[in-house]
Amino acid sequence: MAHWTPELLSPAGSLEKLKVSVLYGADAVYLGGQKFGLRQASDNFTYEELSEGVEFAHSRGSKVYVVLNSFLHDKDLEELPEFLGLLEELKVDAVIVSDLGVISTIQKHSHLVIHLSTQASCLNIESAKLWQKMGAQRIVLGREVTIKEAAKIKMATGLEIEMFVHGSMCMSYSGNCVISNYTQGRDSNRGGCAHSCRFEYSIDFKLESNESKKAYFMSSKDLEGIRMLPEFIEARIDSLKVEGRNKSHHYAGTISKVYSDALSFYKANGNFLSSDMLSWEEELRKVSHRDYTTGSLDQYAGADSIYNDREQDDNEFVVSGIVLEATVGQHLLVDVKSAFHPGDILEVMPFRGATQKLDVAFLQSLSGVALLKSKPGSIVKIPYIAGAEKFNIIRKRAQHA
Amino acid sequence: MHNTKSIKLVTYIENMGELEKIIKLKKADSILIEMIVGAMELSRYSKTSIAEMLELTQEARKNNIEVVLEWDALNQEEKFSQACAVIDRLPLHDFKAIRLQDPGAVEYIKNKYPWLKIQLILENGNHNLVGLNRWCEYLGEQCERLVLSNELSKEKLSEYAKVLKIPLEVLVFGRILLFYSARNLLSPLEKKSIEDGTIEAFGTSEESPHSGFPLIENRHGTFMFNVKDLYLLDHLDELSSMRINHCRVDLRFDESFEKYAENIIRLFTGSILESELFVRKSYPRPLVKGFYNINKTDVLFTKLKNKRTQRLDEFYIGEIVDVERDQQMALLIKSNGLDVAPEVEIKMITPEGKEKIVKLSWMKSSVGESLAKALKDDLVLIPYTSGVSVKTQVYLN
Repeated sequence: MAHWTPELLSPAGSLEKLKVSVLYGADAVYLGGQKFGLRQASDNFTYEELSEGVEFAHSRGSKVYVVLNSFLHDKDLEELPEFLGLLEELKVDAVIVSDLGVISTIQKHSHLVIHLSTQASCLNIESAKLWQKMGAQRIVLGREVTIKEAAKIKMATGLEIEMFVHGSMCMSYSGNCVISNYTQGRDSNRGGCAHSCRFEYSIDFKLESNESKKAYFMSSKDLEGIRMLPEFIEARIDSLKVEGRNKSHHYAGTISKVYSDALSFYKANGNFLSSDMLSWEEELRKVSHRDYTTGSLDQYAGADSIYNDREQDDNEFVVSGIVLEATVGQHLLVDVKSAFHPGDILEVMPFRGATQKLDVAFLQSLSGVALLKSKPGSIVKIPYIAGAEKFNIIRKRAQHA
Repeated sequence: MHNTKSIKLVTYIENMGELEKIIKLKKADSILIEMIVGAMELSRYSKTSIAEMLELTQEARKNNIEVVLEWDALNQEEKFSQACAVIDRLPLHDFKAIRLQDPGAVEYIKNKYPWLKIQLILENGNHNLVGLNRWCEYLGEQCERLVLSNELSKEKLSEYAKVLKIPLEVLVFGRILLFYSARNLLSPLEKKSIEDGTIEAFGTSEESPHSGFPLIENRHGTFMFNVKDLYLLDHLDELSSMRINHCRVDLRFDESFEKYAENIIRLFTGSILESELFVRKSYPRPLVKGFYNINKTDVLFTKLKNKRTQRLDEFYIGEIVDVERDQQMALLIKSNGLDVAPEVEIKMITPEGKEKIVKLSWMKSSVGESLAKALKDDLVLIPYTSGVSVKTQVYLN
C-alpha cells in the first residue's frame, strides 16, 4: 500500500533548472515570467521557454505554477490580462498571487487556479477564510506559522495548504519589508530586494547602554525541514515548497533529490529510518547554505534562528558542471560551472540512487584538445561513466584554504 | 491662511498628559480630531495596558473626542486566538471604529461585530485601484475608511480619491516602517528577555548608504524604521484639494507629541505658515517626502538583466554554449519546432547586442560526425565566427 505524502514543490529559476528539478524528483515546480514576479534579476522565462517548460514538466507528471506575486501597481496590472491568456493557453496548473487586485484581474480574465503567495503573510484561520472567499484554492502560509497551526488552518478551512520546507528565509513577515524601496530605490515587493537584511549592522542601544554591538541581527539561518517530514505528513500539509529560484543547478537538483528520496521512501514504507535521515542531512549540507534551522516549523523561531555571520561561500561541495550529452562508452559533454582538472575525482549525481565517483582521466575541448583546466562557461569532454544521463549534476569536494 | 478646515487630524494618544493637552487645544481651536488608542496586546508599538487604554478612551469620550481602537499586529494562529479573546473582552461600543491590517482580524471583526466600523489599513502594498475597490466591496458599509500606502505618489492619491467613494487616510508626519519581523532580534544581543517591555536602538551598516535606522523590539517582534521621517505637513492644502481628508500624525516614539501638538493643530485648523516652519525646523530627526512626489522604484529593473541574452521569437534556434577560437562553436538547439540543417542562413545576436549573419557551411556532432539535421536538445558543432561569444542567441535569418 502506498502511503500518502505531500507534493514536493521545487524552484525553477530557468528552463534548465526546471528540467533539473523535475528530473531529480520534484512533483511540481514554480517559476516566473519576465514580469509580475519577485525575482527581477533571475533569468525568468520567456513565453517560448515557458511553453517548453510546461511541456517538459507535464510530460513527466509534474505540475507548473507561475508566480504573479508582486504587489502590482496600476500600470503593471494593465499588462497582466494578456499574460494570463498565454498562461491559460499553456495550461499551467496554477498561479501564485499575493495582491487582491491581481486576484481580481485573474478572476475577470481567466479561469486559472489561484494559490495565495506567502507574500500575503497569511498566518491564521480567519485570514485563510478571507482569502478563500476571495478565490484562493491553496494558501502558502507565512513562514512564521508552525506545522501544528497549519494543521488547524487546514482543518478549519478545507483549503490546500503549502508550507516552506527548505531554503533561505526572509526575516521580515513576507511582503512587510520595504528597506530596498527607501534605501536603494528598488521596490522589494516587485522583485527588487537588495537583501539589506543580510548586512552587518552596528547596533546602538540608546536606552539600555551606550555601547555599540556589531551583528548580522536581521539575517535568518536557512530553513531545513527534513526532520519535520513526519509532522508535515501527519498534519496532511498538501505541498512542501523549496525556496531558491535564484539558486544554482546543484541546489535545485540536490534538494529536490533528497526530499524526493525521503518522500518516496515514506510512500513505500510508511516511516523514515534514522540512518537514512542522517545521510539525507549529510547531502543537504553539500549545497550552498547558511547554518540550518527548523525556523517556526516546530515552535516560533527564537534567537538560535539568527544567522549572525557574514555571507560566505564555504560549501562542502561545488558544482563542476551539468551533463549535456552522454555518449555511451566514449565521453560526457559537460557544461562547466566551476573549474576542475585532469586527475580530479568528481561525483556524478544520478536522478535516483547513490552518487558515483568519476575519475577525470582526460579533459578535452570539443575539438579534442587536451586541457589542463576546465573553464567555467565552456563545454568539455570527460570520460563516460555508466548510468550518467543528460542533466545529471557533476560536483566536486571544495578545497578551502 | 490655509484651506485645511475640512481635514481631520488623526493621531495616537498614549498617555493622559497628551490627552489633556489635546483637550485643551481642542477647546481653544475648533479642530476635527480623531484619536487612535492601542493596547500592547493588539497594537504594534503600543506601550499602553488595557486598563490605561480604557481610561484614555473614557476621558476622551467625555470631552467629545472620537476614539478609534487599533489592532494592527500580525498574529500567527495561536497568538491570534489570544488577541481575539482580548477583543472579545473590550467594550467595543465605546469606539467609533477599529483599525485593522491582518486580513484575519478583518474577517473576525466582519463576522463577529458587523456593527463595528472598520478603518482598513492597506499601507502594505495595495497599489492598484482594482484591489482597493475589491476591499471596499468585500466590507461594504462596514468599511468607513481606507488607510493608504506611503508608497503612493500624489498623482495616484489624487486619482484614487476621485474614484473611490470612501474616505481616505494617509500618514503626513511620522516614522516610516521599513521592516516588521515576528522574531526578537535585539534582545539576543543584550542577552535578556523583553517580557512586556520594549528595547529601542539604532542600526547602522557600512553596506548601506544610510545610517541610524531606528529599531524597536517588543512582544510583537522587531521593527525597523527609515532614517528619515515622513513629512507632508506642507502638503495639507494639496491633500485637502484632492479630497484626502484624513491625515495622520504619528509621534509615538522618541519625539514628544506634546512639544509639537500646538503647532500641528494650528496647521490643521488652517493656520499660519510659521507653525509649519516651527515643526519642520525644530524636529530632531531628518525629514523626507518619501514617494509623495514620484515613485520610480521599478525603473532599475530593466538594468538587472541582459535582454539580449533572452530568446525572442519563432525563428529561435538556440544558444552558443562554447567557442573555440578559429575552430568551432557549440550550439545547443533549444527551439521547439525548428529543424536546423547546413546551408541555412543564421543570425546571431551577441550579449553585447551585435548581430552576425552567416551561412552554415557545416554541422557536426560531438564525435565529429557530419550532420544533415539537428533537433531540439542536440548539441552541435558549427563553424567559428569571430566576435561571437558564449550566450549568443541564434536565430534562423
